[in-house]
Amino acid sequence: MQVKFEFVIYNETLDTFELDENVYSFELNEEQAQTYELLKSVDLHLYNWFKESEFFLNWIKEEVYPDFTNKKIAICDIDDISFRRYYFFKVTSADAHYDYFKKLFDIYHEIDWQDREEVGEEIVEKLKIKRQEIMIELKEEIFEDENDENFNEKI
Amino acid sequence: MDYKYLNNMLSEMDKDLSSKGMSRREAMKLAGISGAGLLMGASDVLAMEKDQKELLKSGVDAKIVIVGGGLAGMSTAARLTLSLENPDITVIEPEELSVSYQPGQTLVAAGIWDIDDIKFNRDDFVPAGTKVIADKVIDFDPTNNRVTTAKGQVVEYDYLIVATGLQLDFERIEGLEEAGRAYSTGDNTKLQNALGKDSGICSIYTAEGSVTTWEQMQIYIDKAKNAKDGKKVKFLFTHPSTPIKCGGAPKKIMYLTNSRLKEAGARENAELIFYPNGGAMFGVPEYHDAIYEQFKREGFKWHYRHNLVAVEKENKVAIFDAKWQEKGPYDPIMRDFEVISKHERVRVEYDFLHITPDAVAPREVGESDIGSAKGWVPVNKETLQHVKYDNVFSVGDIAQVPMGKTGGSVRKQYKVLVDNLIAQMEGKKLTSKYAGYTVCPLITDIGTVMLAEFDWTVKPTPLVPLDPTVERWIWWLMKVYALKPMTMYGMLAGRA
Repeated sequence: MQVKFEFVIYNETLDTFELDENVYSFELNEEQAQTYELLKSVDLHLYNWFKESEFFLNWIKEEVYPDFTNKKIAICDIDDISFRRYYFFKVTSADAHYDYFKKLFDIYHEIDWQDREEVGEEIVEKLKIKRQEIMIELKEEIFEDENDENFNEKI
Repeated sequence: MDYKYLNNMLSEMDKDLSSKGMSRREAMKLAGISGAGLLMGASDVLAMEKDQKELLKSGVDAKIVIVGGGLAGMSTAARLTLSLENPDITVIEPEELSVSYQPGQTLVAAGIWDIDDIKFNRDDFVPAGTKVIADKVIDFDPTNNRVTTAKGQVVEYDYLIVATGLQLDFERIEGLEEAGRAYSTGDNTKLQNALGKDSGICSIYTAEGSVTTWEQMQIYIDKAKNAKDGKKVKFLFTHPSTPIKCGGAPKKIMYLTNSRLKEAGARENAELIFYPNGGAMFGVPEYHDAIYEQFKREGFKWHYRHNLVAVEKENKVAIFDAKWQEKGPYDPIMRDFEVISKHERVRVEYDFLHITPDAVAPREVGESDIGSAKGWVPVNKETLQHVKYDNVFSVGDIAQVPMGKTGGSVRKQYKVLVDNLIAQMEGKKLTSKYAGYTVCPLITDIGTVMLAEFDWTVKPTPLVPLDPTVERWIWWLMKVYALKPMTMYGMLAGRA
């Protein structure tokens, strides 16, 4: 089973995200495909599964961004599941994104309709933290571990 | 009262109750056992009974200062008195009538109660052993654990509870600048002068205002009764852009005006129009739908997203900032259309104008170190502990929690606060949590109330097995007869 990915690249100096317009395909094995089917209806679970899976991180490091050591990236789209709202949310975002974040961040107000600008700014504030959580740091942990093991064996 | 309607309601209620295996007698008994606790949110009869038992007392000693002696502050003081072996509690409250029964203001404004029915003196409800300083705090110094009053008295504390309540910001409305800011109780002569005598402008949000609302309402109902040539008398009702005390009250006074118009046989000659700043009748979809149907049934008109910003008293024109949204350009990155917010000023003529003012934190709180950018005291919404100062807690209207500027919320909050304050004093973890429960007995007619109960889940949370979106006489009885004694002698004693 093939899954298409799009990514955003974090620019630390400017604190912005740049969209990588390429689409990357990854072949899931049978077991991974089963997990994918189970998780795809809950987008954040799906995101976290990929983010925490060694096979996925290795694929990014080795094939997608081999020269990106110590950079930060994030998944932008997984097949038709979009995470762009996390990176490009604007106060004037359309209703679908706006309502999604109100729910996600438990933003309830006593009055019936809150000024959109004010709630939008609250969403942007909370998104800053959320973005950090879902960012993928392309560290060379695996190699470091292997080096440590080799080093220990030599001792 | 329309007795035929009442009989129909009773019959409907019987059907509803019998489908739940309950008779009206049993329902009334249940309501009677827990008193207005049902209205105010007792989770069940057992919980009520538990509350009646003697509380376990903590032996921890500390000086506790409560700023604000309204329902929230005084109930907290009473509960602390019951929960500590050696309570050292000081309440700082300048207003003599601070514990007056504010939920009754709608009933006064509709001529159902008299002003004396809601006036209660602070000094009659001070818990034994609690000291009262009849002064206003003008400075908070949480770094040095002290507050300063208007008369210059410096009061030190180990633990501080902020329960100042909120202010009504009439001066924000152009044309009413001289009204200043007001509290619900106390002398509001300045505000009443600014609104003008016989101007048709009124507000139930102050005790004095509820009296003038009833006076004005009768004048304009009389005008409607005598209206000729098909000219309708226009009754306008507003709902502002800020969180407010009892979110249902702007609609309650509209329903009661409608009820009085019908009673006078003048409804045909009147137009009742609601101007909320929001885009729905209520934040909970189920209650929104119910109110929407009630508005249609009663022939009300409404215009969403209109915020009152100015009044021309001499021309009898209300000016609203009307907001709407338009579809913007397509955003290729978001893969969606942008939403563009627009607004313009709209002039509306009125005969009778009921204003629900913006609610704001008192300046001495909002602009101090214990306040926040929005003015309210920033607390953990579950524990009610200040986000920055561990020895500061807040309760009631001034606490920055989502929703819940009602007596029903306070009833849940003050017990949580006392549990957590004592835990903090004893060096334990704060385990008691406020879940956001609030209640709005929405009067829809003289004789019927829809009991809107909900919490942070924004779902109806009814305490008895009855459809919460149905208007019922039983809740009217609770509102008019049971709620006040429960509040005044249950909550203010720290028990209910």
